[in-house]
Amino acid sequence: MTAVPPRESWKRHTSGPVVRPYAVTGGRTEPADGEMLDLIAVVVATSKAGGGGGDASRRSPEHRKIVDLALAPTTVADIASGTALPVGVVRVLLADLVMLGAVKVVRQRPAREMPSDDLLREILNGLRAL
Amino acid sequence: MDSAHSSDQGAEPVFSPHKLLIAGGFAVGKTTMVSAISEVRPLLTEEKLTTASIGHDDLDGVPGKTTTTVALDYGRITLSSQLVLYLFGVPGQERFWFMWDELAYGALGAVVLADVRRLDDSFPSVNYFESRELPFVIALNCFDGAPRYDEDEVRDALDLDPGVPVVLCDARQLASVKQVLITLVEHVAARRAQWAAAQAAAARSAGPRVPPASSAAITGR
Repeated sequence: MTAVPPRESWKRHTSGPVVRPYAVTGGRTEPADGEMLDLIAVVVATSKAGGGGGDASRRSPEHRKIVDLALAPTTVADIASGTALPVGVVRVLLADLVMLGAVKVVRQRPAREMPSDDLLREILNGLRAL
Repeated sequence: MDSAHSSDQGAEPVFSPHKLLIAGGFAVGKTTMVSAISEVRPLLTEEKLTTASIGHDDLDGVPGKTTTTVALDYGRITLSSQLVLYLFGVPGQERFWFMWDELAYGALGAVVLADVRRLDDSFPSVNYFESRELPFVIALNCFDGAPRYDEDEVRDALDLDPGVPVVLCDARQLASVKQVLITLVEHVAARRAQWAAAQAAAARSAGPRVPPASSAAITGR
């Protein structure tokens, strides 16, 4: 084993330029509407999303990528994975799109209550058929 | 189509994702398990630092830093065009506890993957799911050369409730992982049946004294 270099050598002044994740949100770390979407919250692009109206110019390439991924209903986790952006960043950008009316939240959080028998049966049948 | 369960949402099929968690100690095979049954994709989470991570994430010299990046494994199992299971590999070390609540919220249940040689690594996961009353099963990953333990010995060592299933598995094998997930969902169904029976018993003993407001909430009237 080689000696571990002193920690100071990894301080950010010497670690080179790094694009901070929140650069794409303009430094914002909280969703503008204050909503913390669950990892499997379901979102979908609306019919307003595709238009080239004035709103579109306010969107970054990341915003547009999210709209593309949400043309069919999808989850926050899938969008984060599809854009390679951290979940926290995706939440901020999704909130922007929701406020623009380009994306709507179909389901904010999974239900906290007990799952129904029908749902569990459907999942079991699906797993057995794999 | 295959919308067997009743849905009042109209004709449009409803996309219905559900969470299952794969927890366990460091290097116990969580990633292997998720990748045996689904396509694993990395997921970056940018989490707020709390006191839980102080002492682990070195903040010296970065006083403004309030978040840290954690990579999670997640995989999707598409059961039908609407029904999709999301598996999340939950980092087991205590320093990641601050993100467990979010991962566990609304999850159907959890698999605690354990290595019989390091059973104590699964204590935090077991404690967490017990305290949150989230149904879980213990899956013993049978590493080559690992000593084989009797299920009862493992149950004693982990001080499990009698109802918690303990299954042997090979986290590399689809068929084995599939059986673990089936055992988990069957366990969730059993817990649901117990819960429904307890609700019914409570309603009977409470009789007509149940205030109208709460009975309306239960029936969703």
